[in-house]
Amino acid sequence: MSKSKTIKEQYPPGDFAIWIIIYVELVTFGLLFLGYAFSRRANLEMFNHSQKMLETTSGFINTLLLVTSSYFVVKAVATIQNMTDNRREEFNKKASKWLLLAMLFGAGFLVNKIFEFSYIFGEGINLSTNKFFMFYLLLTGFHFMHVLLGSVILFNIFQKTRVYGYTLEDHKGIISGATYWHMVDFLWIILFPLVYIIR
Amino acid sequence: MTKTLEIVWIILVGLTIFAYLLGHLHYINSFFVAILLVTTFIKVQLVLNYFMELKNVTGKYRWIPSIWLGIVISLIAVAYYLPVSNTH
Repeated sequence: MSKSKTIKEQYPPGDFAIWIIIYVELVTFGLLFLGYAFSRRANLEMFNHSQKMLETTSGFINTLLLVTSSYFVVKAVATIQNMTDNRREEFNKKASKWLLLAMLFGAGFLVNKIFEFSYIFGEGINLSTNKFFMFYLLLTGFHFMHVLLGSVILFNIFQKTRVYGYTLEDHKGIISGATYWHMVDFLWIILFPLVYIIR
Repeated sequence: MTKTLEIVWIILVGLTIFAYLLGHLHYINSFFVAILLVTTFIKVQLVLNYFMELKNVTGKYRWIPSIWLGIVISLIAVAYYLPVSNTH
């Protein structure tokens, strides 16, 4: 009995295709993070000066929103994984509530980011203003698109829970979608201190 | 199991608040940056292990994202700590 507890999976959870996408994203974002870090090193004063224009509180709120949204998604997945066959509807309904909360927090992130972008663009800043803002707009803009895509994925999963589509045997879809959302979350966890705080 | 998730979430929120407070310091020295990078590493590792459930995976698929994270955080530290030469 105790032996089965220690047996680990050979492959990561969810569809393996989602992990291929994640590995590609890791390389892309990794290069952007390092591009930012080494460009900063070569232009210290300009980076530190430009960074002062960013609203740290906005980045902080967005981190809390994404981390909490990720937590809600974990709860949705755990609900489906713990379902009993004769109470499929009840567990799907419960998971849909967690997913709705996750989507609301994700939407909060997007709205907050739109306000931040509109302030930055309102100041006349664009990709060619300087290297700091080029990296800032590339990193946060690229990440914003990932949050958008993640929200669409969450909405699709949510729709499936509304028709009680997940069973104990077949719920790979929700795990794959959740995995993508967590990736979006941890990329922001690195981006926040790197771009908003370290100076 | 359920409690573990709540504890992970509380740690993530706590470390985020800590990073935010550090960001409000007038002067962030090298020591604080080191702490910031270590806490960032811990936060991402928690998401990988508990939210993405990689702690239940064996072999290379568990370690690929962690190795990526270690390399990225280490190189960010290198970019921050290496002395800047004043050749121009």
